[in-house]
Amino acid sequence: MYLNMDKQETMVNIIITVIFYNILTTNAIETWWSLGMNGFEAWRNPQLFILGAQPVCTHLRGLSPGQTKLCQLYQDHMPAVSRGAKLGIHECQYQFRNRRWNCSTVDDDSVFGPITEIASREASFTHSIAAAGVVFSIARACREGELSNCGCSRKLRPKGLDRDYIWGGCGDNAEYGYRFAKGFIDARENEKNHPRHSRELSRMLMNLHNNEAGRRAVYKHTKVACKCHGVSGSCSLKTCWQSLLSFREIGNFLKEKYDGATDVKFNRRGTKLERKNPMYNKPTKEDMIYLDPSPDYCEPNKLTGSRGTIGRSCEKNSDGMEGCNLMCCGRGYNTHKITLTERCHCKFHWCCYVKCRTCKRVVDIHTCK
Amino acid sequence: MGGVILENLSNRKLIGLGVLLGLLLLTFFLVGGLVAPTPSNVSNVLGTICKEKSRTKSAAWYKKTWYTPRGPGKCESANTLDELGPDVHNNQVVFAFMIPLPRDGHNLQMSSWFQHITSVLDINIEYQEGNEIKENAMVSLELKLGGRNKDTEPWTLIAAAEEIRTLDCSIEQSLKTHGQQYNCSVLPLFELGSCHYSFYLLNLRLPTFDYDEITEEHVEGKNTGIGKVVDIWTVFINQNGGFTKVWFSMKTLMFPTVLMVLCWFWRRIMMLERKPNLLEKALLCLGIALTQLNLPIEWFTLWFDFPFMLLLSDIRQGVFYSFLMCFWIIFSGEHMMDQVERSRLVQYWKHLSAVLFGCICLFVFEMCERGVQLTNPFYSIWSTDAGSKLALGFVVLAGIAACTYFIFLCYMIFKVFRNIGAKKNSLPQMSAIRRKYYMGLIYRFKFLMLSTLICAAMTVIFFIISQVSESQWKWGEENSLEYTSAFLCGVYGMWNLYVIALLVLYAPSHKYVSAADEDDSLDEQIEFTQIASESSALASFARKAAAD
Repeated sequence: MYLNMDKQETMVNIIITVIFYNILTTNAIETWWSLGMNGFEAWRNPQLFILGAQPVCTHLRGLSPGQTKLCQLYQDHMPAVSRGAKLGIHECQYQFRNRRWNCSTVDDDSVFGPITEIASREASFTHSIAAAGVVFSIARACREGELSNCGCSRKLRPKGLDRDYIWGGCGDNAEYGYRFAKGFIDARENEKNHPRHSRELSRMLMNLHNNEAGRRAVYKHTKVACKCHGVSGSCSLKTCWQSLLSFREIGNFLKEKYDGATDVKFNRRGTKLERKNPMYNKPTKEDMIYLDPSPDYCEPNKLTGSRGTIGRSCEKNSDGMEGCNLMCCGRGYNTHKITLTERCHCKFHWCCYVKCRTCKRVVDIHTCK
Repeated sequence: MGGVILENLSNRKLIGLGVLLGLLLLTFFLVGGLVAPTPSNVSNVLGTICKEKSRTKSAAWYKKTWYTPRGPGKCESANTLDELGPDVHNNQVVFAFMIPLPRDGHNLQMSSWFQHITSVLDINIEYQEGNEIKENAMVSLELKLGGRNKDTEPWTLIAAAEEIRTLDCSIEQSLKTHGQQYNCSVLPLFELGSCHYSFYLLNLRLPTFDYDEITEEHVEGKNTGIGKVVDIWTVFINQNGGFTKVWFSMKTLMFPTVLMVLCWFWRRIMMLERKPNLLEKALLCLGIALTQLNLPIEWFTLWFDFPFMLLLSDIRQGVFYSFLMCFWIIFSGEHMMDQVERSRLVQYWKHLSAVLFGCICLFVFEMCERGVQLTNPFYSIWSTDAGSKLALGFVVLAGIAACTYFIFLCYMIFKVFRNIGAKKNSLPQMSAIRRKYYMGLIYRFKFLMLSTLICAAMTVIFFIISQVSESQWKWGEENSLEYTSAFLCGVYGMWNLYVIALLVLYAPSHKYVSAADEDDSLDEQIEFTQIASESSALASFARKAAAD
């Protein structure tokens, strides 16, 4: 745990250097992901911005014009969107903690820096996980009753909401989360028309596809639980429902999809994307697609936005990506001893309150040269 | 006497009747499948994490305070438990659930059409090193359920209880890293036999200590070793109003129909010179049992709060099915065609006591579960070790009784078929009248066997279909046919039609022996009339058959 913190510290260092770097060099595209980064604590109290004289949405950077409109229409949804983006970013960082590219963020509104401008697998993943985060947190907010607009979709019913509800109840809120996320996230992609064969069109199609993959990862992967409540509690009447998986499970699933992402290119007419290698399976709506190969993440590069792995901590004896061999790209590593002060012999409760003692121990830390 | 109507019905009429019943049955299925929505509605509600400011509040104090997740008087809430920080004690955290959830910007209301609410608890527990779930970990829940009809009203306490449930969680070895969630099965929470308020509020607390206000002492020891709780979900299941409406309409329609047929049947029997025999009495009882099941007293629940209705409808169903089982035994026995004198209920004491014993076991079980739930809806007999053993004991006993019953029944049916086989061989040697009556007897029995088998098979098939369709259901898929509703309505309609058909077809016929039988010898006819005038015609035939 302490190791992680150390890692984070080094990460912070990297971020700081990169920010500096960024200011000097590029102006990366702003995205709605920034909602997950900024201090959005004020957003939790909906009254604050409804009563506020200033229209908050126009002041938010990172939103496209269409998204700003949606933001104004659904102001109470924005805290959940922001939480979703945050969830996505954190999950991305967890899933890639041992990779050369570790999903580190920069302190501007592009969130992940210029690296996501390259249409690589990593960009696909960021799009998917952020979209998944929004579906997840909107559905969650609906189920908590925090959002009053959540839909009551059911066919075959009488007209009028109250009568509908009494007649056949309401559908689940995950569907609403999916629909809202689709509207909000895809809004920025659908705003412009791009000519055939253009770079912009291919990127737009890729983003749309990956956003959908992310949303489906939440919506289509659920666990089913059932309750028997027939005569005497027997199973003559059984009711089943679906509940969302934890976001960690969704992250794991998307990571698998990242590993199996499909390389795509334009079709002959330049209107749709198709797989480059026809030997592979056709990507489904749940699969991720990408256009370009990933840049070299070993060395820092101004053009690609890669930060390199210098200073990243690594595992000495591991053969995996987290091993010093792969992580440091063969440059070797430094080892230093540090004394860790950590909590130990903890007495946990199910929430919050933990009684711990502090222990000290000396560990070896390896960082890439 | 000319036997029962079934025997005197021409094939054309019988087929016509069969087609009519088939069509009616199809109507029942279609009404269930197309008109009615799914029987139950599920709302999955995430507990709002409310924070109680004071740390030193006793359980008694908690009982008096309501924590509402939204609207006026909203509690001080946090998005996640981690947000609360390390200073907040477990006893200060209250999970609040309020139903119904708002939809489309509108505050919905519960309705008495929902009939009953069942609820289960889904606790999400995260893996945390050093804080794993212990084996057979128990959660101790301080629960409180309130209801109100208007936003402005104070909450009325429906029930409060402290309950213990055993956690049943697992996690794969490879997934044992921070942030992974355990796979826990849901826990039963409460069952409410009525839905009479517009809003329901559930407050739940997982205290780790009891605070004694007088001695100001903390007594720890509860809710330890249950892991790191992340979220608590409650799933509320209620009957859909649309389904209730369809169900009530069917009952209201079937009640007078069956009652009329029953009256007609009994009037026919009363018109006979002889006294009613056992089979006819059994049919009458079956009709009465069905009538009490059909009696639509549920209409009252729309105006009055009757939490016992769930229990009552279980009992009413139990009564009907036990009478049906008894009827099958008596029917097979009366068609045995051997020399044993039957026609009296005492003859069947072994078989019927199996039914009775099974029913008593189930009744005791029912009273232990749903009976106790009348006073404490949070009660579940399965939550304690002794209780679940007791419950299991009763269910196993009932199962044994059911098995015994089916062995008896199968044995009797087997014997009947054996006797039929023997009779068929000797049929050509018999005189025309006797042959006709034996054939009638065999025909009657086979007809009932066939129709019963068809009904039972259809019940089983539709049960399986509805169960499969229920567990394979996915979001965003709209079923054009509601299988579960179709199953419930269809099965209900089927047994109604079954009983009606029995009452009609097995009522005594008024047709007299036809002219074709005039060729038979005089003494045969005399002999026959003598026998027929006896109270138990069937058994006498059987005796005669044995003499043959």
